[in-house]
Amino acid sequence: MGSLRFEGRRVETRDGDTIGSALFRHGVRTFSRSLKSHRRRGLYCATGDCANCLVTVDGVPGERACTTGVREGMRVQRETGWPSTEHDALAINDTLHWAMPVGFYYKVFVRPRWLWEVAEKVIRRTTGTGTLPVTAAAAPKPTRYARVDVLVIGGGVAGLAAAAAAEGRVLLVDEGQIGAAASDPATRAAIERFATQARAAGVELLERHAAIGIYEGPSVPLVGPDELVEVEAARVIVATGAVEAHGVFPGNDLPGVWLARGAARLAALHGVSPGDRAVVVANTDDAAASVQTLRDAGIEVTEVRGRVLEARGSKQVASVTVLTPEGRRAFACDALVLSLGWAPRDTLLRMSPDPEVSGAGDVVLPGCTLAEAAQSGRAAGGGRPVEPRLAEPWPILEEAGYVCVCEDVDVHDLEAAWDEGWTSSEILKRYTTATMGPCQGALCSRHLSSFAESKGAAAGAQGRTTARPPARAPRLEDLIGGVHEVIERRTALHERHVEAGARMDRSGVWMRPGHYGDTNGEIRAVRERVSIMDVSTLGKFWVAGRDARALLDWAFPLDVGAVAPGRARYLLALDEAGYVVDDGLLAALADGTYYLTSTSGGADRMEASLRNWADRLNLHVHLVNQTAHLGAINVAGPYARELLAALSQDDLSRAAIPYPGHAEITVAGVACRAIAVGFVGELSYELHHPRSRSVELWNALLDAGRAWDIRPHGLDALDVLRLEKGHLFVAQDTMPDDHPTKLGLDWAVARDKTSFVGKQALVRMAALPLDRKLVGLRFDGVPQRGAPLSVGERIVGRVTSCAVSDAVGASIGLGWLRTIDGAFPQALVAGDLRATVTPMHFYDATGERPRG
Amino acid sequence: MSLLVVCPTCGERPFSEFSFGGELREVSSPDPAADFARVYLRDNVAGVQDERWFHLLGCRRWVTRSRDTVANRFVEG
Repeated sequence: MGSLRFEGRRVETRDGDTIGSALFRHGVRTFSRSLKSHRRRGLYCATGDCANCLVTVDGVPGERACTTGVREGMRVQRETGWPSTEHDALAINDTLHWAMPVGFYYKVFVRPRWLWEVAEKVIRRTTGTGTLPVTAAAAPKPTRYARVDVLVIGGGVAGLAAAAAAEGRVLLVDEGQIGAAASDPATRAAIERFATQARAAGVELLERHAAIGIYEGPSVPLVGPDELVEVEAARVIVATGAVEAHGVFPGNDLPGVWLARGAARLAALHGVSPGDRAVVVANTDDAAASVQTLRDAGIEVTEVRGRVLEARGSKQVASVTVLTPEGRRAFACDALVLSLGWAPRDTLLRMSPDPEVSGAGDVVLPGCTLAEAAQSGRAAGGGRPVEPRLAEPWPILEEAGYVCVCEDVDVHDLEAAWDEGWTSSEILKRYTTATMGPCQGALCSRHLSSFAESKGAAAGAQGRTTARPPARAPRLEDLIGGVHEVIERRTALHERHVEAGARMDRSGVWMRPGHYGDTNGEIRAVRERVSIMDVSTLGKFWVAGRDARALLDWAFPLDVGAVAPGRARYLLALDEAGYVVDDGLLAALADGTYYLTSTSGGADRMEASLRNWADRLNLHVHLVNQTAHLGAINVAGPYARELLAALSQDDLSRAAIPYPGHAEITVAGVACRAIAVGFVGELSYELHHPRSRSVELWNALLDAGRAWDIRPHGLDALDVLRLEKGHLFVAQDTMPDDHPTKLGLDWAVARDKTSFVGKQALVRMAALPLDRKLVGLRFDGVPQRGAPLSVGERIVGRVTSCAVSDAVGASIGLGWLRTIDGAFPQALVAGDLRATVTPMHFYDATGERPRG
Repeated sequence: MSLLVVCPTCGERPFSEFSFGGELREVSSPDPAADFARVYLRDNVAGVQDERWFHLLGCRRWVTRSRDTVANRFVEG
């Protein structure tokens, strides 16, 4: 004995209760209001198949009251109706059917347009189920992965028999507790027997985990209370059983109308009577067991066979009319219990056409006996698929009544949609939204196809609609579980940057300093004194082996043979279409091996590309991606050499480290490969070194650099520094279809080379007129990056980079530009500024400064 | 996650660990016109095709695999 809080009141609970059984015992009959008409809805299936009993539990909406077990003190609230579910002013909608025709959204509020804005606010407030707890931050659930030979979904007789019979590693999953749903003793005994067999056979039984879909593979995500399990299975056996068919007749949605197994379950498992006087419409063989269970619970039961023509009642069912073989008969009752036929719970099965996915038990043989269930389970477990059998008879649709209870779609709506020309089951589904509610068509999907069939829909237009995940509603924390964690890479110097007050920016997967508080000061330090930058994020590769040079000569447009040991070259990477995809540096090492760098974001692509060509061309090459285990610090500025000299005994002259070139030197006791390059346009050395020594080296440089008032610079300063040199950032300044000529980078391509990736494409494109190129720009004001460049009314380009440069004494930029009548315009308008086309090298045009 | 790719180093791994390299093509062509067709014109077969897969989040090895593009499953060979 315990209790829960229901809308502020205390409700007693008993051991084994579900929220639904406890509330029903307490006297609650209306569990929700329907989506559009706000009709009362009560417990109906009581097996988790329909959406009538969705409630909010401890602030979490959309819990199924009928299958969710009680916990002491849990807070339960109904979700629909205004001001309350019990007294719902919007129930007036039930009399306003004429105002809400099928296809409502497509027909009403179309004109005048402003009306929709108003209407939407009202509609949003009055429909829907539950309110999301917007303040709660969902923590992603941990994900684990399971590889099995056989996954069985459903822990009933068929599922357990299948699991026990299957070979190899077998996992059986059930969304509830195994055996807990069985209300009659024979079924319960059979489940116990097969569960023992399955355990003895080494089957892993996983309870309270719901399969939310079957994806190709087959792959099945399982949502558990505390985890997400991604199952890869060689075979999947779906044994999710069947539910009694939903009957469609006037009044079929009244509280007090039940599906038989649910009513029996409520009586047998929870000691709650669904009513005092029940009429059971017993059209299936299984109904006898339900009738017996209800009689044992002391309920007065009238058993009939036939077609239900109508149920009547106001707050709940009070009478029913049935067309029996003896004729029309009317009964007074407070519970109408339906066992009309079988609807297989085949949503999961219909998600996958794969032969590896098969069914067993009721899901393929609806209404089968226990013996048939066990036999089909054993067959499926042994790898012999069970031929599905269609359940007959299927209850026919009367002239009125709700087809789709979730979405409030009735027979009239289907008729109206049909008359409007929506004449196939898939299109009826989309137009009326039948099958698209929380139960995902579990009850009504087959009604939709039988309606299309009865109307004489074309072959192929009357089938079951496609089932798609999720079969069970996952929560947001389930969806963000597992592989969706954000990757954040940090260099070894991350903490040093943070301590120095840097604003850390996300740059691809890397965290990088944007600035240290004074971008202009950082720029001046580079131009006038000396500065350092953490460039550890660069892609770094060592290429060795017999065919190293052959690989690089093929993969890149530069002439690798012309790079003497000790020298370095700017490296352009093209794709097979001849377009620029990346850039970097190539350094030829003394032993005939090579060291190359790529942009920070291009490292993975460069590795993939090199490995692909080595593989395709059968080249003997060792490629080592050193991006993660080498750090790199760029030391730049007129006093860069003096700073290094203060920390190194090595020869730093141009004879020892040519420009552009490199050498192995020791700086502050740290072995470095120093690469003399000129990206920022000053004397500079990239010091590539073991990552474990980065902090030590960084500290030593800052310490020794005090004599020159050293300070580090970040990405913002770098953006201006390289722009002053007219050096482009691939992707920021380039378009996806820029070949080297468009970027003014022909000098980086060895056209004499017989072959390299993109060569044929460059030859082909060289014959085409050059209709777009990257240009230097000067502005008479401060432009915006991304601003359009225009001539008159005509937009001919876009600003890709811009800055106000102190070193140049002007507002400068880069941008792409199209031709007008075959010529590139020179005078442009950028937003409200004037722009002039200039050469790209704004600063130190002859390139003397980096030579030092 | 779903489709499994057989990697010679790592065994069967989910396709989401791989980067798709497209259908297997010649590595080069005799002239620019043929090269245009090689680069831009794909066969896009409905049936079995040979494809390149790169084990990006694994051993970083390229493999060539035959896949039935209709059934979306790998075939032996």
